[in-house]
Amino acid sequence: MKTTVVVSGSGGQGIMSIGTMLAQTAVSDGREATFLPEYGPEQRGGSAKCTVVIDDREIISPLAKKCDVFIAMNEQGYKKFIADLKADGILVYNSSRVTSEIKRTDITAVPVPADDICTELGSMKCANIVMIGALTAVSDIVTKDGFASHIEEKFAAKNPGLFKTDIEALEKGAEYGKKINS
Amino acid sequence: MAKILMKGCEAVAEAAVRGGCRFFAGYPITPQNEIPEYLSWRLPEVGGAFVQGESEVASISMVYGASAGGTRAMTSSSGPGISLKAEGISYLSSTKLPAFIVNVSRGGPGLGSIQPAQQDYLQATKAMGHGGFRLMVFAPATVQEAVDIAYDAFEYAERDRNPVLMLMDGCLGAIMETVELPPMKDITGKETAAWNVKRYPGEKRSPRALTPVYPEMFLEYENKQRAKMYEAWQKNDVKVEEFMLGDAEYVVAAYGITARLAKEAILRLRAEGFRVGMIRPITLYPFPKKSFDGLDYSLVKGIIDIELAIPAQMRDDIALEVKDRAPIYEFGHSGGILMNDEDTYAQIKKIVTGGDK
Repeated sequence: MKTTVVVSGSGGQGIMSIGTMLAQTAVSDGREATFLPEYGPEQRGGSAKCTVVIDDREIISPLAKKCDVFIAMNEQGYKKFIADLKADGILVYNSSRVTSEIKRTDITAVPVPADDICTELGSMKCANIVMIGALTAVSDIVTKDGFASHIEEKFAAKNPGLFKTDIEALEKGAEYGKKINS
Repeated sequence: MAKILMKGCEAVAEAAVRGGCRFFAGYPITPQNEIPEYLSWRLPEVGGAFVQGESEVASISMVYGASAGGTRAMTSSSGPGISLKAEGISYLSSTKLPAFIVNVSRGGPGLGSIQPAQQDYLQATKAMGHGGFRLMVFAPATVQEAVDIAYDAFEYAERDRNPVLMLMDGCLGAIMETVELPPMKDITGKETAAWNVKRYPGEKRSPRALTPVYPEMFLEYENKQRAKMYEAWQKNDVKVEEFMLGDAEYVVAAYGITARLAKEAILRLRAEGFRVGMIRPITLYPFPKKSFDGLDYSLVKGIIDIELAIPAQMRDDIALEVKDRAPIYEFGHSGGILMNDEDTYAQIKKIVTGGDK
């Protein structure tokens, strides 16, 4: 089944990392994936968005208007793309930064205070991993174990400290996701 | 070989290296920076050389020099930088030197925007520099296709002793998708190529000169030879994807990323019973004339040209083959605005159901 994920926020929040990591996890799992970044000329602070399409079959169009999953990292990104989430879609949002009231009732909304969790964990770099953790609890597009083995491959040797924090972040995020499911 | 996830620009760079590229010179511009960035570390690994030139003009001139020395040489840029390289590309063609040039195209005209567009079609296919020469122009729609083209680009360039151009939209340069990379080509012996000005130890031939300057008579002779080469391309080298044309009442014409959006829309429309097909040129030059000329115009009610260019640029080439046998509709965006699946579907459907007449 074709699943489209949109991630939005501001440059520096790890938007593109979420996208590439989701795509890579799916490919490692034997599926097809495309990752398309969209950003302005700024390195930091500008708006950033990426679209990831995951499918069991060859992906024809990597550009989709509507998404099945929407990960909103900040208020601006939330406002810009919430209308593009399909009915019955999943919204995972960084409730430390998204201050709007979630008005849509036809979706599953998962609030995750990703920035606050990061502060607790002592690293501001893992907010994006927290969000993926929450996503794994409410959707089966990637599994927590599949994602963990991907970041293990990527960071375990290169930066053991960051890897440890990332795994904690993944678990914390998953806990928040489970709260919604129960 | 297992498929891996790779960014379009990086996959093209790797495929060029595997296809024998051993020299790159270029100047930074978005959205193609990942090509030089990748080659800056990759080329030295295979004994090649990478230069970030002081300008586009310098870079294309270095490619000219490297090619004259028998090296498989490449450059890449985006619209504004390609314009600056146009002079050098004309000189390469005039001197009959092979090279591989990639335009990862962005919104224009002028400095335009850094977002994807297809506004360099006319430049690429009609006049990629002064003097009325042509290049083979390839337009991939997937990263895999871009890899395959980059891998074989030097074969065409050396066969014809003429530069080869790959025109890919910024979307395909930035996207990551799965690819299968081909094996490394053995390029031993290429250094003794017929145009190489450098004499190697043991070579007994007389000195060789290359020049972009000819006396009038010889220049006309060369241009006549070139005309024959373009005819041969039209006969032998056209690459095109014809999709669901058999019973099609409406035929979409699109290339690159746009064709992928169109294909998905066509599958959806087919499921609803609409007879829509597509012609996707893979070589923009030579243009797939026969695909358009040979349509069954007793069935075809319209051609729908979809491009990230306003006004559409490929339309002129289509019109020459359709010869007023069916109306040509066009839609798209430009300046860096992308289409999405819903818009593409809705626009095609509007035309097919008569809403746009």
